Amino acid sequence: MRRQIRLEKKVVSENDRLAKELAERFRAAGMLAVNLMSSPGAGKTSLLEETSRRLGGELRLAAIGGDLATDRDAERLRRAGMPTRQINTGRGCHLSAAQVAEALDAFDGPGQPIRLDSLDVLFIENVGNLVCPAQFDLGERRRVVVASTPEGDDKPVKYPVVFHTADCVVLNKTDLLEATLFSCEAFRRYVRGLAPKARILELSCRTGEGLEAWLDWLRAERAAAKKG
Amino acid sequence: MGPARVVGDDRLHELSLAQAIWRQVTREMESHPRCRLAALTVVVGTFSGADPESLEFAMRLVAEGSAWPTAEVRIRTEPVALKCRACGRAYETGTLDLACPECGGFDVEVTGGRDLRLESLEVVQDDEAPDSS
Repeated sequence: MRRQIRLEKKVVSENDRLAKELAERFRAAGMLAVNLMSSPGAGKTSLLEETSRRLGGELRLAAIGGDLATDRDAERLRRAGMPTRQINTGRGCHLSAAQVAEALDAFDGPGQPIRLDSLDVLFIENVGNLVCPAQFDLGERRRVVVASTPEGDDKPVKYPVVFHTADCVVLNKTDLLEATLFSCEAFRRYVRGLAPKARILELSCRTGEGLEAWLDWLRAERAAAKKG
Repeated sequence: MGPARVVGDDRLHELSLAQAIWRQVTREMESHPRCRLAALTVVVGTFSGADPESLEFAMRLVAEGSAWPTAEVRIRTEPVALKCRACGRAYETGTLDLACPECGGFDVEVTGGRDLRLESLEVVQDDEAPDSS
């Protein structure tokens, strides 16, 4: 006899399970974990360099960075004073919770100076890609999507999934506005449509304009994370 | 300089999803010991990020190595359900172009089509079993 069993169960992947464990570790340590996503070249590393220079004396920061190859971003961040662990994903187009867990263990391991409970903010700089990273939870408390003016103001509607999940959208390279046809008004409208609650911050890592609002957002989010 | 390493096994997204689905199937089948799995239906929301064709391929691969290699894998796609905040229109789309068909706006709320769900199993009761009816 053939019969049907209705289940309607959401599929929980191995990544979801590991991400939940990570989220618990971050919560227990009372620190803020931020997943930074963008297309390649939007300015994730520049944003972290400036953040380190301006906030490094006030908050204890560290980063995990994902790229297909090289240690270049980690070198840049270390030069800006941020302890950083580089993950090379090879052909992998996104970071997974397993990779973040492994990088954390390397931070926490013997002879390494960083422990989670001695951190205020951990930045997870994802692989430059607006498609796959949106699907992979890394245990982060906040998701930040970085866009930049040369990419065009319609990026949000072309990659709606990643923008839909954003808690904060940073628009970088506002110093190039005049050289592009970018409309901040259109960009804001698109982002608000997809993620009405997300903070939208317009800034230029090059000139420093608008960075203070980003630092304030981080301070507030870190304080909230500490309260639990 | 810290050693840069290549780690992780999530490169084939849909393969790891297929394995996760199959783990759930196996767990479910444990509560039906006298049954054999004939078919399973998985719902892939268009906004879930998973690719239905790759998932179907991966599901067949995983099924072949399982206790029920002949089980039929059915993949059903579910459109993105949306509601336009500007004009109130509710609509669905099978693509990621979310623009409202009424007013062309993008001020939209995603109300469905995010999930990847194991919807149902079809099992065949083993007639040889002592307490089968």
